[in-house]
Amino acid sequence: MYTYIIRRILMLFPVLFGVSIFIFIVMRIVPGDVAMTILGTDATPEALEQLRKDFGLNLPLYEQYFNWIGGVLTGDFGESMRTGQEVLPDILNRFKLTFELTFLSALISWFIAIPLGIIAAMKRNSNVDFGVRIISLLGVSVPNFALATVIILILALAFSYSPPVGYVGFFADPLKNLEIMIIPAVVLGTSMAGAVMRMTRSSILEILRQDFIRTIRAKGAKERIVIFQHALRNAMIPILTIIGLQIGTLLGGTVIIEQIFSLPGLGQLVLTSITQRDFIVVQGAVLFIAFVFVMINLLVDILYSYLDPRISYK
Amino acid sequence: MMSTLLDIKDLSVDVTIDKQEFNVVNNLSLRIDKKQKYGIVGESGSGKSLTSLSILNLLPDVLHVSNGHIMLDQTINLTKLSKKEMLNIRGNEISIIFQEPMTALDPLFTIEHQISEVLKFHEKYTKKEMKQLIIDMLDKVGFSRPKQILKSYPHQLSGGMRQRVMIAMALICKPKLLIADEPTTALDVTIQAQILDLMNALTEDYDTSILMITHDLGVIAETCERVAVMYAGTLVEEASVQELFKNPTHPYSVGLLDSVKSLGDRTKKLYSIPGNVPTPAQLNESGCRFASRCSHVMDICRKQDPPQFVINDDHKSKCWLYKDGGKKNNEHYQHTIESK
Ligand SMILES: Nc1ncnc2c1ncn2[C@@H]1O[C@H](COP(=O)(O)OP(=O)(O)O)[C@@H](O)[C@H]1O
Ligand code: SF4
Ligand SMILES: [Mg+2]
Repeated sequence: MYTYIIRRILMLFPVLFGVSIFIFIVMRIVPGDVAMTILGTDATPEALEQLRKDFGLNLPLYEQYFNWIGGVLTGDFGESMRTGQEVLPDILNRFKLTFELTFLSALISWFIAIPLGIIAAMKRNSNVDFGVRIISLLGVSVPNFALATVIILILALAFSYSPPVGYVGFFADPLKNLEIMIIPAVVLGTSMAGAVMRMTRSSILEILRQDFIRTIRAKGAKERIVIFQHALRNAMIPILTIIGLQIGTLLGGTVIIEQIFSLPGLGQLVLTSITQRDFIVVQGAVLFIAFVFVMINLLVDILYSYLDPRISYK
Repeated sequence: MMSTLLDIKDLSVDVTIDKQEFNVVNNLSLRIDKKQKYGIVGESGSGKSLTSLSILNLLPDVLHVSNGHIMLDQTINLTKLSKKEMLNIRGNEISIIFQEPMTALDPLFTIEHQISEVLKFHEKYTKKEMKQLIIDMLDKVGFSRPKQILKSYPHQLSGGMRQRVMIAMALICKPKLLIADEPTTALDVTIQAQILDLMNALTEDYDTSILMITHDLGVIAETCERVAVMYAGTLVEEASVQELFKNPTHPYSVGLLDSVKSLGDRTKKLYSIPGNVPTPAQLNESGCRFASRCSHVMDICRKQDPPQFVINDDHKSKCWLYKDGGKKNNEHYQHTIESK
């Protein structure tokens, strides 16, 4: 197991190396000029040229790449071309917000989705089941910006709510922090819940059809034990897959929600840096997001092997 | 003096398909005595499993008992028990073993956990006592290193080993009845005999009756004292095993026995009963359910469902050929087979 984890971590390097080349090339191909966005369209050609030279953009591509990746390997992600701010601390800072938002949303979605999914499976074709299927269909198909808009509208009309501006860390002021985060988390959580609910319902139904459930019933097990100890545990494997994907995606930045609620998260950083052609920031952030995604995958794989004795890694 | 353990009376099971009901087990009656080894034999699809599942109220949702009752110890009507009362019976008074050992155990739990559940549901033991009981039981079902098996997961065991685990689980509460639904069908031939011997020996130790469900007359011959032959949801013949093998009366039983005999004798062509088991939809028609495949079919057979005719004290047959008792001789069956 431990050798497996170490091997997986070593495999990070080729993956991230590939990602770094890919994003580096993409950033050179997209049209637009960082010098132009900084100095404006009426800057003199000389000034633009000078700025490009300062950023090292006149060097051959491979040299630019190695300068960047060499820094990254030593933990120096470079500085933002626009703000001069160091990239890595900025990413980590914003990641805190994204991380909190992701897990808060995930928690909310599990609290809604898993119990409802179980009830729907147990009372198949009942009104509850029908309701759950409609909610999960809506959850899967309504984009979260639409949901966000509706929720903000309702809250604004009912409680004259307006999305708070700025962000306060949880440890700095927990109450204030939650006040800022709760609505975006509810929006994201609700939209995540659809897929989890649907997966919970269908995997539990699938498991309940299996022979071994009949064996457990034949032993004299109460329905509670059949469902929670056996069916749910077996159903957790596909549910975990969905949850892992959702979290992996959200940790990469919840761009739209961050934009709507003006939260300075990772998604917002990537978005603004792209519009301003701030190569260094985009490259660093994408590399970081890829790293997080791979780590979440690894975590999910490790959890699989805890849940299912048939899965063992060597 | 034998006494009745399980008394199934006029049991009917219906299946609901698209809001329409079809009858799949029809007015079935049989009696199992204490310590008796009772067999039900019939082609697949004849309703054997549904009969056995009805006893423990384990029928899938689309199926339900529509008539009759099942008495345990002459006092407990299993078809009328509340859910909670039924939980007390399952695994405790009556256990069941299924055909597929590969899928019958939960893949995520150790053997120890899965066997200990039965004890937890029905008895009050300390953890230590429970562990010792399980080790003893695993030893009895033939594991040479029971302690190692405790910690194993189902996927680490072979089919035969899993079926041994199922037997251990089924017998650990010393039930009055063990239902075995094709317990050896999915196993290698060499393992089959071992598992049957094991079940025979253990149930004798525990004074447990067996209801052996199988499509294989060989299994019946090896394990059972009495046998019921089922065809298309009906019990067509019932007798002691000896009597049935010596003097089969129902044309379906005769066909079944001939298909086994011709297997033993390679010079004869393999005999098989022509046609197929009717589908549930066809079953709703009146008359003898075997009529479409019977070479002795008479006018009355298609019009009226035959009742159980008494052949002798311990032999009944559901066929119009015997409406005057067991006088009919078997010679012309012999003849029909020779001529194939
Ligand atoms: N889950 C089910 N849904 C619909 N019909 C079923 C179901 N299970 C059994 N049946 C019907 O009942 C008949 C008897 O089934 P079963 O008792 O399993 O037969 P056996 O065990 O003798 O092979 C089958 O032929 C089938 O038509
Ligand atoms: S009742 Fe008639 S059709 Fe049915 S088995 Fe007897 S002879 Fe054949
Ligand atoms: Mg069967």
